[in-house]
Amino acid sequence: MGRSLKKGPFVQQKLLVKIDKLNSANQKKPIKTWSRASMVTPDFVGHTFLVHNGKDFPTVYVTENMVGHRLGEFSPTRKFISHGNHTAKVSK
Amino acid sequence: MARLLGVDIPNEKRIEASLPFIYGVGPSWAKRILESAGIDPDTRTGQLSQEQLGAIVTAIQQTGLPIEGDLRRDLQLNLKRLQQINCYRGIRHRKSLPVHGQRTHTNARTRKGKKKTVGVVRAKK
Repeated sequence: MGRSLKKGPFVQQKLLVKIDKLNSANQKKPIKTWSRASMVTPDFVGHTFLVHNGKDFPTVYVTENMVGHRLGEFSPTRKFISHGNHTAKVSK
Repeated sequence: MARLLGVDIPNEKRIEASLPFIYGVGPSWAKRILESAGIDPDTRTGQLSQEQLGAIVTAIQQTGLPIEGDLRRDLQLNLKRLQQINCYRGIRHRKSLPVHGQRTHTNARTRKGKKKTVGVVRAKK
């Protein structure tokens, strides 16, 4: 079920404050965050985030198209591993 | 074979059943369209007059639904956007794996296609 429209999008309060500060100072600097659930709002566009994925902080550069998605969607929590990597080891 | 809206050629079925041959019109929209055009859903498509066909076309356009090429393009654009912004759903689409969190340990054959058996290739001694 989607979130009630009455409440508006969820964004961590801390993040909003930081973005406001950067915007008013007209600065851009990467923001490290653990708040994967925060929605990308139009103020975020052009900023860079380091979004925690449980281990690292992949960089996420926010573009206009990303508005309405959540930060976590851009920072995968799983590593894709395929089969067939043993061969090199075996042949040694 | 009647021609409606350019490419579509619904055949000699009941009009209610032949409208869904248009990409973007399903059974329920077909009913609504016929109602607003004032046409009996049981008449055969071949027996409809030019004016009646015209009425159906205007009724479809009035719904404002994306249809045929427009709809296909919309869907493509949605996919493209997801893949371009590099979000989780886009990545899943790119790898042609299930997008909505289904398991992939087994099943998921619709997305993954026919089974490909993989095994470890051991070096020969």
